[in-house]
Amino acid sequence: MTGPAGSGAGDGAGDGAGIRRVVLARTDSTNAEALRRLAAGEAAPFWVLADRQTAGRGRRGRPWVSPAGNFYGSVALRPGGDAGQAALRSFTAALALAETLDGLGLDPARLALKWPNDVLLDGRKLAGILLEGTSQRGALALVVGIGVNLASAPPPGAVEPGAVPPVALAEAGLRLTPDAFLDALAPRFAALEAEFAARGFEPIRAAWLARAARLGQQITARLPGRQITGRFETVDETGAVVLDTPAGRQHLPAADIHF
Amino acid sequence: MSKSDHTSDVKFIAALAALLREHDLSEVEVRRSFGEDDTLDVRVARGTLAAPQMQPAPAPVHHAAAAPAPAAASAVAEAPEDPAQHPGAVTSPMVGTAYLQPEPGAPAFVSVGDKVSEGQTVLIIEAMKTMNQIPAPRAGTVKRILIEDGSPVEFGAPLLILE
Repeated sequence: MTGPAGSGAGDGAGDGAGIRRVVLARTDSTNAEALRRLAAGEAAPFWVLADRQTAGRGRRGRPWVSPAGNFYGSVALRPGGDAGQAALRSFTAALALAETLDGLGLDPARLALKWPNDVLLDGRKLAGILLEGTSQRGALALVVGIGVNLASAPPPGAVEPGAVPPVALAEAGLRLTPDAFLDALAPRFAALEAEFAARGFEPIRAAWLARAARLGQQITARLPGRQITGRFETVDETGAVVLDTPAGRQHLPAADIHF
Repeated sequence: MSKSDHTSDVKFIAALAALLREHDLSEVEVRRSFGEDDTLDVRVARGTLAAPQMQPAPAPVHHAAAAPAPAAASAVAEAPEDPAQHPGAVTSPMVGTAYLQPEPGAPAFVSVGDKVSEGQTVLIIEAMKTMNQIPAPRAGTVKRILIEDGSPVEFGAPLLILE
């Protein structure tokens, strides 16, 4: 079996169809569930998929509203390498999502990636990704949590002022169940993960940059207690967003990006 | 434990000067004593400048106002050399932003004086929207917290001292 057709940079080495899946009617958060299973010693990789989340979460405690019909899944990994390398899965996951959507027939020109891992459809937020990692018995454990608005999106007023407005895939005429979406996503993610293992970050970085939103334009990075505006120059080899500012070039490993 | 020599003194002073600039402080006073119970006392002050942001403060949840802020047995962010070489130092596994609380407004993971068990999350380092929970490498007592909530940290930077 091969992954869905797409711009696929992968070589098919990692067929994700065989990856174990845990499917739950509801859970607090698929990330939390996946981390608990890793802590209990379950063999990785595996996916946790839930119909609903009762405590879905985004970055820094932001809730991720999780009604039935949308995709809530986390892939659990025990990545080799250091924590900085592990965090580069942000880009792998965002790219896997975009390539999955290509494969489902969406026009790639309608999709863009917002640093580091938001997936935008027609400039609106279709999907969010939050990774959580820890060290368990001296080895890294990592979960990549992915939320995709398949059927519905929160009303525009429900997101923070200044945030990218949300959109659902159904609005683009594509209707998929979470299971069917994972059938397409899991092999795509596995193929990119295999490519990352074989060739490192560079091909992922290049493919991500080719789909980057606002590359070369002014963007604002919000950090705790300050913000930096500059021209979005690139993403460096560590994954940091690089802004060209009047005060010089700044490499930022963590920030909220605003357009 | 490293002996202070002239070079490290100069580095330490340079680092303090950088902190003054970075945090718009007008004064910083540091008293360190090495020995059995190795203490660090810090006092920082900021003249009449307002905008209390990222100012080293005695406790992670406490934000000092513009007035002089006496701080007992707390720490200077990114204090050079000594904390990193402390045998009880817990260091950052990556470049990123450090958070002392699971989310804004929540209680801190740990405070100075807390006893922690091995594996307990003591803080989070974020990079690329990856939240890395930093576990205590062993059981012990939190002696110092060396970073501010939301401050940038480098790979290997000392985060807290656990004894």
